Amino acid sequence: MATSDVTRRVAAIEPPRWVSDNVGLFLVLPGLFFFLSFVAIPLVYLIGLSVTDATLGTMFRDAPGLWGTVFGEAQFVGVENYASLLTDSQFYRSFGITWLFVATSVVGKVLLGVGLAMSLTHSWVRGKRAMRALVILPMGLPAIFTITVWRGVFSSAQFGLANQLLGAFGIGSIAWFNSRWLAFATYNVAEMWLAYPFMVIITVSALQNVPTELHEAAKVDGAGFFHRFWHVTVPAIKRPVLFASILTAAASFQQFLIPFIFNRGGPARANELMLLYGYREAFTSGEIGEGSAIMLTAVAIIGLFMIVAATKGELAEGAHG
Amino acid sequence: MTLLSSIAQKIRADLRAIPEAIADWGKKSRYKIDLYRRGKIGALQLIAPVLATAGALVLVTALLFPVYWIALAALSGDGGSLYSASGFKLLPDGFNPTLLITEGDLWMGMDLSAFVWVIGDLVIPSLRISIPLTGLSIVTNEIVLFEAANYGVDNPSQFTHYAWNSLTVAIPTVILAMAVVVPASYALSRREFLMRRKVLYGYILFTQVGGGLGLAMLIAVFAIFAELGLTNDKFALAVYYAAMAVPFNTWLLKTFMDSIPASYEEAAVMDGAPPWRVVWEIILPLSKAGLAAVFIFVFLTGWMEFIVAQTVLRPENYTLPVGLFALIDEYTVPWARFSAFALTFAAPLMFIYLFAQRYIESGLSFGGMEG
Repeated sequence: MATSDVTRRVAAIEPPRWVSDNVGLFLVLPGLFFFLSFVAIPLVYLIGLSVTDATLGTMFRDAPGLWGTVFGEAQFVGVENYASLLTDSQFYRSFGITWLFVATSVVGKVLLGVGLAMSLTHSWVRGKRAMRALVILPMGLPAIFTITVWRGVFSSAQFGLANQLLGAFGIGSIAWFNSRWLAFATYNVAEMWLAYPFMVIITVSALQNVPTELHEAAKVDGAGFFHRFWHVTVPAIKRPVLFASILTAAASFQQFLIPFIFNRGGPARANELMLLYGYREAFTSGEIGEGSAIMLTAVAIIGLFMIVAATKGELAEGAHG
Repeated sequence: MTLLSSIAQKIRADLRAIPEAIADWGKKSRYKIDLYRRGKIGALQLIAPVLATAGALVLVTALLFPVYWIALAALSGDGGSLYSASGFKLLPDGFNPTLLITEGDLWMGMDLSAFVWVIGDLVIPSLRISIPLTGLSIVTNEIVLFEAANYGVDNPSQFTHYAWNSLTVAIPTVILAMAVVVPASYALSRREFLMRRKVLYGYILFTQVGGGLGLAMLIAVFAIFAELGLTNDKFALAVYYAAMAVPFNTWLLKTFMDSIPASYEEAAVMDGAPPWRVVWEIILPLSKAGLAAVFIFVFLTGWMEFIVAQTVLRPENYTLPVGLFALIDEYTVPWARFSAFALTFAAPLMFIYLFAQRYIESGLSFGGMEG
C-alpha cells in the first residue's frame, strides 16, 4: 500500500517517534470515544437494569445511596428476569416467529433480488440501465415512509390497495392484520420491498463480472438455460449473494418498525418479533427489567450470528486496505 | 458551487442519453427486422426481446406501483381510492392535460388541496429589532407568503412545525459528527497506527448491527435521558444521533479518501509542506464529494430517525417522521392528506439520497462486495 510510503516520509520530518508513529490514533480517538460513550454507557446500564425488578413506576423514584440514584427503588434480583424468560411462553413464541421471519424473508429477498437482477441484465431486455435505475428508487425512501405506505396498502379500509385489487377480481375485503399468518405474510412483503434494491445492486454488479465468453462457450457446448444458470451464473454470484444474505438476515432479525407500525406485533401478540417484544415489555407493560433482559438476549443472538457470519462469510473484507 | 454544477451536468447528460437510447433502439430493431426479412434469424429471435422487455417493464411497474398509488391518492383531494363506482382509475381525479393549453393551468386540473393542507400557512413573523443606545427599534411587518385559507383549507397540518424541529435536530447532528468523522477518516485512510485495523473492523461491524443494538439500548437510553431530565430535549437527541453516525460515516469517508492517489501528497511532502498543509490543501479539497456525501448522510440521520425520537420527544417537539407516524392513527385525517404529507416528506429525501449515491459512486466501491 502506498500510504505506508507517505507515513515514512511524514515520520522523517517529525522527529518525536512515539507521537508521530501514532498521531493517527489521536485523530481517531475523539470520534471513537464519543461513539463508545454512547454505546458503552447505555449497554452497561442496560445490563444493570436487566438484573433488577425495575418498572417504569419504581425506577425514577429517588432512593438513598448510589444504587438509589441510578436504579431508584428497583431491587437487585439477580438472574431472575432471565430465568423467568425461560418459562415465559411469549418468549418462545417471539423467538420462534423471529427466526421464521428471518428464514422466509431472506428466501423471499434473495429470490426477488436475484430474479430481478437476472432479468434486468438479460441481453434480450432493452432499456436495462434505465429500468435498473428506476427499480432501485425505493432505496432512497425513508423506512418510516415505506412502512406506513405498506400499512396503507394492506389497510382494510376503503382505500387499501391490496383489498382494492382483490375487489377488482371480485374477492371481498380481507382484514390483513387480524389474522396471524396473513399479518406475517404482509410483514414479509414489506421487508422484501425494503431490501430488494440492495440485493439487486449486489447481484447486478456480480453478474456483470461474469465474462460473456463463459456463457457463449457453454452455449456452444449445448448447455441449456438451467445448466448454464447452475454451472456458470451460480458459481459467479454465489459469494456476493451469500454475503448480502448474511447482512440482510441480520436486518430481518432486527426488524422492529414493520410489526410496530403495522399492528404492534398482533393479533394477540402472535407476531411480536424479538426487539418489539422487548420494547413492549419495557414501555407498554412498564417492565423495564424484564424488557432489558429480552433486549440483551436479542443482542447476544445478533452478536453471535454476526461473529459466525464474519468468520464464515469474510465480512472483514471491507476492512482491508 | 462546483458540486451543484457537476450534479446539473450529470442530469443534463442523463437527459441527453434518453433520446439517444431511443434512437439507438430504433436503429437496432430496424436492423433486426431486416435480418428477419432476409431469413437470417428466426421469428423467435425477433420476438424474444420484445416479450422480455415487456415482461421486465411489467415487473418494474408492479414493484413501483405502491409509490405511484401514493402519488395518485395525494392528488385526489379528499378521496384517495383507486377503485370507484366507475372501476379502476389510473390517473388522478379531474386530470386533463388539455387544461394546460386552454386555461394555462399548470396542474392540469388535479386537486392539490391535500398538499395545501400539508404546507399550511407560510408566514414570516414580525420581528422587533432594537438598536442599542439609540432607544430606537425597527419593527418588521408580518409577511404572509402563503395562506391555506385562501385555497379553502382550514386547520392545516403541522408539517412546517415538524420540519423546523427536524432541522434543529439535524443541524447540530451534522456539526458534531463532522467534527469527529473528518479527522478520524483521514487518519484511518493515511496513517498507520496502533489498533487501526481493530477500530475499522469494529466500525464496519457496527454498521451492520447498529440498528438492532440501538434499539436494544433504547430502554437504557430512554432511562438515562429521563434521569438527566433530557427527554424532549432536541439537542440531546442530536448528540445521540451524531455519536451513532460516527462508524458508518467514518468508514464511508475513509473509503473515499483511499481513492485519492498518494502521489499528490508525496509531491507536497517533497516540496516541504508540513502535514497540516498537506491535509488542508490536498486531502480536503480532493475529498469534497465525499465530504458532501457524508454531510448528506449525517443530515438525513437526524432528519429521518424515528424510533428514538418517538420515544423521547413530546408532541410539540415532534420531528417529521414522528409527525408522519402520529397521522396514521388519526382516523379523521383522510388518506389523501396522509399521502400528501408522506410524499412531501419523502420525495425530496429520495432525490437527495440518490444524487449523493450517484455522485460518490466512484469513491464507494462497495468494499468487499466484488466477488
